[in-house]
Amino acid sequence: MILSAVFLVSLSALAFEVLLTRVFSITQWNHLSFMVISIALFGFAASGTLLSILDTRKKGWEKRLSSRGPLKAFTTLYSLSAILSFIALNAIPLDYFRLPFESVQAFYLFIAYVLLALPFFFAGLIVSLAYAFLPARTGVIYFATMAGSAIGAVIPAMFLPLVSEETLIVNVAVVPLFLLPYRAPVLDERRLFGRNRPSTYRIAWGSLGLAVALTALFILLGTDAVHVNVKPSPYKALSQLLMFPDTRITNTFRSIRGRIDRVQSPYIRFAPGLSLKFTNTLPHQSAVFTDGDSQFVLYDLAAQEALVFPRFTLSYLGYGLAPHPPRVLIIQHGGGLAVPCAVASGARDITVVEPNPDLARLLGAHYRISAVNTNARTYLARTRERFDVIHVENWGTSVPGSAALNQEYFFTTDAFRAYLDHLTPDGVVIISRKLLLPPADALRLWAAAYESLRFLGCTPPANHLALLRNWDTFTLIVSARSLRNTAIIKDFAQKRNFDMVFIKDLSPELINRYNVYDKPFYADQITRLAEAYRSGTAKQFFQSYLLDVRPQSDRRPFPSHFLKWPKLRALYQSMGSRLYALLMSGEIVVVVVFLEALVVSAGLLVLPLFFIAKDAQRPPVAQIIYFSGVGAGFMFMELYFVKQYILLFENPVVSFTVVISGVLVFSSLGGLWAQRKKQSALRYALLALIGAVLLFLTGLDRTLNHVLGLPVIWRYLGALLILLPAGFLMGLPFPLGMRYILKNPAQRAYAWSVNGCASVLASIVSAQIALSLGIPIILGCAALAYILAWTTAGRG
Amino acid sequence: MKKILAALLFWGLIPTLLPAGTTSDPAWLQRAREALVHNHIQGRGISDPRVIRAMLDVPRHAFIPARLESQAYADRPLPIGEGQTISQPYIVALMTESLELSDHSRVLEIGTGSGYQAAILAKIAQEVYTIEIREKLYRSAGEVLRGLKFANVQTRQGDGYFGWEDAAPFDAIMITAAVDHVPPPLIEQLKDGGRLVLPLGNPFSYQNLVLVTKRGEDVSVKQITGVLFVPMTGYAMERGQTESKKSP
Repeated sequence: MILSAVFLVSLSALAFEVLLTRVFSITQWNHLSFMVISIALFGFAASGTLLSILDTRKKGWEKRLSSRGPLKAFTTLYSLSAILSFIALNAIPLDYFRLPFESVQAFYLFIAYVLLALPFFFAGLIVSLAYAFLPARTGVIYFATMAGSAIGAVIPAMFLPLVSEETLIVNVAVVPLFLLPYRAPVLDERRLFGRNRPSTYRIAWGSLGLAVALTALFILLGTDAVHVNVKPSPYKALSQLLMFPDTRITNTFRSIRGRIDRVQSPYIRFAPGLSLKFTNTLPHQSAVFTDGDSQFVLYDLAAQEALVFPRFTLSYLGYGLAPHPPRVLIIQHGGGLAVPCAVASGARDITVVEPNPDLARLLGAHYRISAVNTNARTYLARTRERFDVIHVENWGTSVPGSAALNQEYFFTTDAFRAYLDHLTPDGVVIISRKLLLPPADALRLWAAAYESLRFLGCTPPANHLALLRNWDTFTLIVSARSLRNTAIIKDFAQKRNFDMVFIKDLSPELINRYNVYDKPFYADQITRLAEAYRSGTAKQFFQSYLLDVRPQSDRRPFPSHFLKWPKLRALYQSMGSRLYALLMSGEIVVVVVFLEALVVSAGLLVLPLFFIAKDAQRPPVAQIIYFSGVGAGFMFMELYFVKQYILLFENPVVSFTVVISGVLVFSSLGGLWAQRKKQSALRYALLALIGAVLLFLTGLDRTLNHVLGLPVIWRYLGALLILLPAGFLMGLPFPLGMRYILKNPAQRAYAWSVNGCASVLASIVSAQIALSLGIPIILGCAALAYILAWTTAGRG
Repeated sequence: MKKILAALLFWGLIPTLLPAGTTSDPAWLQRAREALVHNHIQGRGISDPRVIRAMLDVPRHAFIPARLESQAYADRPLPIGEGQTISQPYIVALMTESLELSDHSRVLEIGTGSGYQAAILAKIAQEVYTIEIREKLYRSAGEVLRGLKFANVQTRQGDGYFGWEDAAPFDAIMITAAVDHVPPPLIEQLKDGGRLVLPLGNPFSYQNLVLVTKRGEDVSVKQITGVLFVPMTGYAMERGQTESKKSP
C-alpha cells in the first residue's frame, strides 16, 4: 500500500503545486506566488525533520507509521489540508501591497505560509516514511514518487481547458483518497500496534468517513459551496475595469497558459502614445485580459473614422517611414494598438504572431487577418520571408517592478538580430513601451538595437536609430537602412507634439519641448550612451549608471529587471525614500524569500540535532553535504531547463510542464534502474552526471537554436530528447545514496529533510542567478553541487 | 437573544457607515487641520495663499466615513467606499495650485469621488463643474457639498471622458483618475491658455502628476512631480464591490 500512497500523493502534490501557481498568477503576480509557494514547499523538508526527532523518542516508528491505518490517516490529512488551506487562503484578507503599512499583513502572510505548507508536509511524510521503512527498495520508491509527480505535472495542462482552477484543485486534492478502501494486509498489525490498534483504526476510518463526506459534498455542490472563487487582485487592470458600470466578462477561457477573460465595457479606451493633437473619438473597443492583467484590446475598425486615431500615435512613426508597407509582421504581447496602426497604414499583408492559442483565434476572427499561433522567435527562426515593418507591441504589466522576474525574449540582442534579418532593405522595426523614470527601458532597448546593428555590420549604427516620446510612452525605430531623411521624423513629431529623444542630427531645440521634464532626462542619457559607444566607454557608462540597463542576450532575458544592488540606496532615495516602491520589485522579493528560506532551513536542519543525544548517532557531515549537493544539483538542473525552454515555448508554465514531466519520467526510470545497481555505481553515476552537465554547458545553446526552428511536434520531441540523458542520470544519485550511504531510518528521514531544504534554497538562488548573471550560470551551479556530492559519496 | 444582539450591532454600526456630520467642526478637528496645513501643505512647498486658505476652511472630515474621522487630517488617502479614495491632502493642494486659478475661473473636475477636491476648488474658483461615474458617490458627494453650502458647484453623474460640453470651455480641468491618454474631448473643452492637471500611472502604484497646457495649436505637457498613492484600497475595494452588489 505504501508505494501506491507514495505514487498518488506525489501525483496530487505536484498537480496541487502547479495549480496553486496558476491561482496565484491570477490573484497576485508571479513573483508573489514564487514567494509563498517556495516557503510552502518546506513542508516536504519539515516531514523529515519531524521523523528525525520522533526517532529519538520512539523506536520502530517507521514500521508503525508505514502500516495501513496511519498511512490512510496521513493520506486523508493530506487531502483535507490541501482543500482547507486553499479555501482558507482565499478567505484570508492578505494584501501584499499593505505589508509595509499594516503589521497584521505579516501575520496573514505567516498564516498563508503555514497553511500551504501543511499538505506538502503530509505528502513529504508519506514519501519519507517509505524511504525509512523500505531501504532496500529506494529505487522503486523513487520511481513511484517521480512517476506520480510526472503525471501530476501534466494534469493541469490536460484538464484546465475543461474545468476551473478551483474545481481542479479540489479534485486533485482528493485523488489520494482512492487509496482508502484498500484492504490488503501488508503487515502484521497486531504485532506492530498491540493495544493501540483499535484507536489507530478508529482514526483511520473516522478520517475515511470524513473524507468521503467532504468529497461527496464537493461533487454535489461544487466549489461554490465553500465560496472559493479565484478572483484577480484588486490592483490588477481587470479588477479596476470591472468596477465601472455596464462592464461584464462575456467569455472565460482557461488553459495552462493563463486565464483569459473577454470583457465588454463602454469604458475601455486604450490609446497609449496618443497625440494631444488628436481631437476625434476613439473607436469602440473590447478587451481581453490574461490572468486579470496584460490587457489586450480589440478595436472595432469597421468605420473609416476608426482608422484616424492610429495615425496620431507614436508607434505610427514607423509606418510614416515605410508608407503603405506590403508586408507587416506584428509580434504581439498585450496592448492591441499595432493592428489598427498596420491597417491604417494600408498594409497589404498583415501577419500577427500570438503565442496564446485562444488569443490568436480571437484576433484572427476579429480582424480577419492571419494570426499565427506560435511564439515570435520560433516564427522568425522558421520563416525566410522579409517584412517592411516588424511591429513589436509589449507595454509591460500594470504595476512597475512586478515584472522584474518575467523572462521574455522580445528585446534581447539575439531578438534584434532576428528582427533585422527579416527586414526588407527599407524595412523598419517599431517598438513602443511605457516611459520609466529614471530612464531605463529606453536606454537598454536603444543599446540592444545599437549592438545588434553593429554586429550585423551597419555603420554607424546610431544612424539607423530614432527614438521619440510623449509624456508616458516612447517609440524606438530601428531601420535596416541608414535614416537619411530625418525631416520626415521631425515633421511627424512636430505635427503631433511629440518630443525627439534621439536621431542622428538632433538639435537641442527639438528635445523636451512639448512633454517637458525638469531636465531632458531621456535625451541626455541616450546622447551620453551614444557618445560612450563612439568613444569605446560603453562599459563604464553601464557600470556607473543608477540602473542595470545593459543590453541583454538570450542568456539573460529579463527586460523589466533594472535593479543594481550596489546602487540600491541611491535608487531608494531617487524614488522619494519610500519603501513601498521597492517592495513590489521582483528582485527584492527574491532576496526576502531567500532570507526567509535560510531561517526556515536552519530551523528544520538544526532542530533534530538538539534532540539527538549522542554525537555518534548524529548524521555525519558527509551525508549532509551529499544530500544537499544532490538536492541542489537536481533543482539547479531542473530550473535551468525550465528557464532555457521558455525560449522554445515562450510561456513559463508550458516550459515548466514539459521540463518537469520529462525530467521526472526519465528520473523515475533512472531510479528503477538504480534499484539493481551496487554501491560502486554511485560515484560513476555522479561522474557521468557531471560530464553531462559540462556537455550541456558547452553546447546546449546551439542545439536549442536548431530546435527553435522545428515544427511544433518536433520541437516538443527535441526538447524531451535533450532531457532524456539528463533526467535519467539525475534519477540515480538520490536513491543510490538513500540505499547505500545511510544506515538507519533516522538518517534517511534527516537526509530527506536536507534534500528538501537544499532544493528549495537552490530554486530561490536560481532566480537571482538568472537575473544577475544569466541562465547558463545555473547549470554551472548544478555542476558544482554534483561535484560536491561526488566528493562525499561513499563516505557515509 | 441573538435578535437583540443583532439589532444592537446594527444600530451600533449605522453611525460608522454614515458620513461625518455635515456642519460640525469641533475644535480638535480644526486644530488637526491647521497642523496638517502647516506641516504637510505649507511645509512641503505649497505657497498659494488661496489654496492654503481653502485647505484650512474645508472640513475634510465631512467627506469621509465617520469611522475614519480621527484620521481625517493625516496626510494620506482614505477609503470612501465604491473602491475609491479621498486623495492625500498634499496632492489635493498640489494639483489645485498647479491650475493657477483665479476668482473668475471656471473649472471642470473629472471624478467627484468624495467631493472634497471640488470643495477646495469651489473655495477659489467662480464655478466648479464636477462629474462622477458612480451613482452612490455622485449622490453622497452632492449631499455633502449642498450641506456645506457650496452653491457654486454643479454636480453630474456620467462619463467624464466626454467632459461637460454644455458648460465648456473651461479655464482649468482636473482629472483625478489615472488614464493612459488624455481624453481628446477634454482638450477640446479647454480654453486657449487653459490648464489641465492629472495623475498618470497605476492608481495603486507610482504616478506622475502632469500639467497639460493648451496654447494656440500646440498642447504641451509638463511633469510636476512623481507621486506615489499609498494603496489603501485593496481590501476596501473588494468590500466596496460586495456592498454595491448587495445594495438594491
